[in-house]
Amino acid sequence: MKEVRITSEWAKRNLNTIIPLAGLILLLTSLRIANPYFLASWDSVITLVYGMSFFMIAACGLTLVILMGSFDFSVPSVLKLSAMIFAVLYPSLGFLSIPAALAVSLVFGFVNGLLLARFNIPSFMATLATSMVAEGMAQVISGGYTRMITDPAFRAISTTMIAGLPSIFYWSIAIWLISIFITMATPYGRAIYAIGGNLVGARLAGINIRLVRISVFMICSLFAGVSGILYASQIQGAHMQVGVLDMIPLFASVVVGGTALTGGVGGVHRTLLGVLIIRWLDSGLSMIAIDLNIRMIVFGLIAIIMAILTIDRRRIKIMK
Amino acid sequence: MQNQLLIAKNISKTFDNVVRALDGVTIDVRRNEVLSVVGENGAGKSTLMKILVGVYQPDSGELYYEGEKIPFPKNPMEALERGISIVYQERGVIPHLKVYQFLFLGLEGKFTRLGRLQLEKIIGIAKSVFDELGVKCDLGSYMYELPLSTQKMVEIARAILSIRLAVGDSEASKITPIIILDEPTAPLSIEERDEFFQYILNLKKNNSFIFVSHIIPEVMKFSDRIYVLRDGKLVAYHDLSTEKVTEDQLFREIVGRVSYYELYSVHEYGKAEAENRPIILSVQNLTKKGYYSNITFGVREGECVGLFGPAGCGKSEIAKTLYGEISADSGKIIVDGKEVKIKSEPHVRLRVGIGYFSGETGKELFLYWPIRKNISIVNFEKIVRKPFKIASVISFKAEKELADRMIKKLRIRAPSVETECYSLSGGNKQKVSVGKWLEKSPKILILEDPTIGIDVGAREDIYEVLLEMKKKGVAMILVSDDPKEYAILCDKIILLREGTIQKVYDNGEFRRVMEL
Amino acid sequence: MSKNLKKDATTFPIPTTTWRIVRGNPAIWAIFGLVIIFSSIVPEKFLSTSNLVAILKNFAVTSMLAVGPTFVILLGSIDVSYMGIWMFGGALVWLLYPYLGLASILIYPVFGLLIGLFNGIVHVKAKIPSFILTLAMTAVLAFLTTYVRNISGVLTLTVPAYNFLRESPIPYLPAPFLLALPTIILAVFLMFFTKLGTYLCAIGSNEEGAKLAGINVEKYKILAFMFSGFLVGLGSIAIFVHLGNQTRVDFDPSELVRGLAAIVLGGTPLAGGMGGPHRTLLGALVYVLIFNGLFLLPGVDPNHLKLYIGALLMGAVIIASKALKGALIT
Repeated sequence: MKEVRITSEWAKRNLNTIIPLAGLILLLTSLRIANPYFLASWDSVITLVYGMSFFMIAACGLTLVILMGSFDFSVPSVLKLSAMIFAVLYPSLGFLSIPAALAVSLVFGFVNGLLLARFNIPSFMATLATSMVAEGMAQVISGGYTRMITDPAFRAISTTMIAGLPSIFYWSIAIWLISIFITMATPYGRAIYAIGGNLVGARLAGINIRLVRISVFMICSLFAGVSGILYASQIQGAHMQVGVLDMIPLFASVVVGGTALTGGVGGVHRTLLGVLIIRWLDSGLSMIAIDLNIRMIVFGLIAIIMAILTIDRRRIKIMK
Repeated sequence: MQNQLLIAKNISKTFDNVVRALDGVTIDVRRNEVLSVVGENGAGKSTLMKILVGVYQPDSGELYYEGEKIPFPKNPMEALERGISIVYQERGVIPHLKVYQFLFLGLEGKFTRLGRLQLEKIIGIAKSVFDELGVKCDLGSYMYELPLSTQKMVEIARAILSIRLAVGDSEASKITPIIILDEPTAPLSIEERDEFFQYILNLKKNNSFIFVSHIIPEVMKFSDRIYVLRDGKLVAYHDLSTEKVTEDQLFREIVGRVSYYELYSVHEYGKAEAENRPIILSVQNLTKKGYYSNITFGVREGECVGLFGPAGCGKSEIAKTLYGEISADSGKIIVDGKEVKIKSEPHVRLRVGIGYFSGETGKELFLYWPIRKNISIVNFEKIVRKPFKIASVISFKAEKELADRMIKKLRIRAPSVETECYSLSGGNKQKVSVGKWLEKSPKILILEDPTIGIDVGAREDIYEVLLEMKKKGVAMILVSDDPKEYAILCDKIILLREGTIQKVYDNGEFRRVMEL
Repeated sequence: MSKNLKKDATTFPIPTTTWRIVRGNPAIWAIFGLVIIFSSIVPEKFLSTSNLVAILKNFAVTSMLAVGPTFVILLGSIDVSYMGIWMFGGALVWLLYPYLGLASILIYPVFGLLIGLFNGIVHVKAKIPSFILTLAMTAVLAFLTTYVRNISGVLTLTVPAYNFLRESPIPYLPAPFLLALPTIILAVFLMFFTKLGTYLCAIGSNEEGAKLAGINVEKYKILAFMFSGFLVGLGSIAIFVHLGNQTRVDFDPSELVRGLAAIVLGGTPLAGGMGGPHRTLLGALVYVLIFNGLFLLPGVDPNHLKLYIGALLMGAVIIASKALKGALIT
C-alpha cells in the first residue's frame, strides 16, 4: 500500500518528464509501424536533423523567456528578418552580413525587454507589436521577393558534413548545451528561474529584475537570429514564408518539454524532448499525407493540453 | 437594558480541530455607540467579526437581538437582513468604478427591469443617501479619484445602504444598523484619519459601529467601550464613560505582559561590545509624505536599533524605504560614508550591503525551490568558481555543503537539502530565510517581523542566529509588533508616533518602561 | 479634496458632462487631429465621397473585430479568438447554406457564442492564460478554415445568395456599416445599461473586492467570454458582407493586430477595470483614419503596411501602459 502511494506521488511529481518521454516512445514505435521506411536510411536521418536543428536553436531562446514567465511572439519574425538580412546583404558584404543580422536581432530583443521591463507592457503584447515591425522590415528589405544565394561558401555554414551529420546539427547542439549550462550552473540562470518562480522574492533577494529581463529577451532574439542565419544557409537563401508556420510548433515544443507557461518550472534541457516529439510528429504526419493545416491544428491542441497539464496551479491566485 | 442591541454569548470557534481561535467570548453591542474590539494579529478579532456577518459558523455560542434569541447568520446576506454589515480592511474598494456604481455593486437586483438598469432611480437614491449621511463627493467620479478617507466613507454608506435594501423600506427606519469596521484606518495617512473619525462620530446617532483595530491612540480617542482580545479570549473590558484607561495600560493588555514570562524567558540581550565602533548607516531627515517625516538616526556596526511604535506609526514604511522597496520623498541615506540614492531598487541596496529579512511566509522564500537554492540565492559569491574573469559557475558541491551546514547549524528539520521549502513547517521556513542572511552577513540587516506566526522553539533559534550575527558586527534595524523582541535584540529603541521620532530609549530604559 | 467638492453631487440625472467625456477619451482629440491633418494635406482625396464611404466600411470591419473582445479586456484578460470566429464562422455559413438556406447566416452568432463559452470555461476552470488559450483557438479555427477551402476545391468560400444584403437602402451609408449597428448598439447597451458592464469593470479592477461584494466572479468571467464571442459572431456578418459574402481563408497576423490596436488606441487599458466598447469604437475610428489617410499621402508604400501597424501598436501600448503602473507584469 505504501509502495503504491510513493510510486504515484513520484509519478505525479515527475509528470512533466513522464508524459513527453512516454509520448516520444509511443510516437517512435507507431511511426515505425506506420511507415517501415521511417528512419530506415541515413538520408532520412539527415533530413530529420535538418528539420530539427534551426528549430531547436529558436526553441532554446523561447524556453528561456517562458522560464521567466514571459512570452515572446517575435521569435519566428526575428528569425525571418535575420535570414533575410543575411541573404540580402551577403552579395555585397560577404560574411560581414552575419554580424549585421545578429545586431538587428539583438536590437529587437532589447526593445522587447525594454517594453516589458521599463514600460510595463505585458510581453505578449509587446512582442506581438515588435513581430509586426520585424515582418514589415523583412518585407521592406526584400521587397517581398525570394533571395537565392548560390555561393557554396554561404551554404557551407550549415551543410558541411562532419562525421556524417551536417554542421547545423553541431551548431544547435552547442547552443543547446550552452543554454543548459547558463540556466543550470550560473547565478544568472538562477535569477531567470527566480523571476519566473517568485517575482517579489527575486526582487527582495537583490536580483536586478530589469537587467535580467532585458538580457533574456536579447538572448532569445540572438538565438532566433542565429537560427535564421543557419536556416538561410541551409535553404540557400531566404523568402517571406520563412518562419511563418513556426510559432505554434515552437510554442508546442517548449510546453511539451514540460516548461510551464507560468514560469519557474521546467528547463532548456527538456525542450530537446519537446522538439524531438513535435518534429517527428510533424514528419510522421506528413508521411501519412495529413494536411499541413490539420498538422498545425494538432500542434495547437497539443500545446494547449500540455499547457494545462504543466501550469503550476499551486501558486496562481488570479489568472488573467 | 433596552439599550442593548446585539449580544453574542460564549462564542467558541476552533479551526481544523487544533487552532482555538475563539474561546468563550461574549460581547454586547449597544445602540448608537462606537465599540472597539482590539488585539494583536491572530487574537481572534477577525474570526469573531466573520462569525457575526455569517462568513464562519461558531462551534458554540448564542446570539440575542434586542433580547430575543436568534440563530447565527449563515451567510452575509442573512447578516444584512439582521442589520449587520462589514467594511473590509483595504481590499474592499474597487478603484475603477464610478461612485454610484460602487455604491450599488451587487445590489442592482431591485433596480433592474428586463435586464436594463434603472440608472435614474439608482442615482436618485445614491444622492439622497449621500445627502443624508453627509458624504461629500461627486457621484460620477471614479473611486480612485477620491481621497482614501472619502473612499472609506463611501464604503460605510454602501454598508448602510445594503442593510436598508436587505430589510426593505418599511423596516429600514426602525432598525439600528451595526457596521463593523475592520481596521479602517490602516491605509489612511495620519491627516485623513481625523477626518474619517469625525464622520464616524456624526453617524453615531443612527448607527452602531464595531471598530476592530490595534492602533491604540485612535481606539482611546473615539470609542465608547473597549473589549480586549488575546489568544482567542476576552482579557479586558473598559467602559470609557465610567473609567479612565491609559494608553500604556491598554497596550499591555493587548500584548499580554504576563504570558511572555510563561512562554519563554527573556534573553539577556547581546549588548553591542564597543560603543566606539563606527557608524555604518546614517539616516538624515528622511521624509515620505503622509507616512513619516524628518527621521534621523544612526546605526553602529554590530548595533541593533529598533523602530518601535503602534501600528500606523510609519515604522514598516521606514524599513521598506531603507531596503529600496518603496522610495522616500526627501532625505539622505548614508551607508559606510557613501550616500545612497533614496530612490533605488533592492539590488542596489544589497550591493552596498543592506539586506532585508521579512517573516512574512512566501514573500522572500521560493516555496517550490529546494532549501539549497533558497540559501544560495544571495550567497553566490561564496559558491561560484570563476574559470574566466566574466564567467561564474556555480559549484554544486560548495552549494550543497553550504546548505548542509545551515541545516545543521539552524537545526532545520528537513530530510535533505533537496527538500522543497513548501513542505517545511512555518518555523523551519523562517529558519531557511534567516539562514541565507546569516551566511551572507551583510553590513546592515533590516528585520521586519522576523518571528511572526512561528512557535516558541523556533523563535528562540532565530533570536540566537540574529544575536550571533550581531556579534559578528552586522548592524540591524528591527521592526516588529512584539516589545519582547526589542528587549532581546535592540541596543537602542526609537519610539515613533504618527511618523515622527518621539524618544530614544536604551535597552535598560525600554525594559523598565515596558516592565519587561 | 477641494477638487472633488467643487462639483458636489449636483449633476443629475447622469453625472457626465461633455468635458468629462472628452477628457476621459483622448481618442476624440486624435480623431479631430487626424481629420484636420489629412483634410489639409490631401483634401480632394481625403474628403471625397467615395473615401468617406470607404472609411465607414473599414470602420465597421475594424470595430466589429474589436468591440466584443473589449468586454474580456475589461476583466484584464484578453480574447483574440475573434479571428478564428470570423474565419471559421464564415466557412460554417458556406458549409451549411445548402441545408439551412438563408438562415445559415445565423450560424455566425451561435458559433461565436459557443466558442466564447468554451474559452470562458477552459480559462476559468483550467486556469490557463487567456491570451495563449484564445490565440491557440484562433490558430486552430484559422487552419481549419484553410483546410475546408483546400478540400472543397473552390478558391473562395462565397455564398452569392446573400448579395441582397450588400445593397444599402440609405444612400452614402454602406451596407456593412448598417449591419454593424445592431452589434454596436447591443455592446453599448450591455456596457452602460446592464449590471454586466459594471461587474466586469469591478472584477478587472479588484477581483478580490468584487468577490467580497458578493459577485459570482467565475460566472461573470465566463459570461464576458460568451458575450465577446457572440458579439464577434454577430459583427462578423458585416465583415462577411463587406468582403463580398465570403470569409477570409488564410490567416494574416496583421488582421489580428487590427482588433487589439483598436482596443488599445481607444484607451481600454490591458490591465482591465476601465474603458469599454464605446472607447473601442473611437479607437477603431482612429485606426481606420490613420491608415486611410496614410495611404493617400504621396510616397507611402502600401507594402510597408505591417511595419506601420507594428509601430502603431507599439506606440499605442506604450501610451496605454501608464495605466499599468504597479501591476505585476510578465
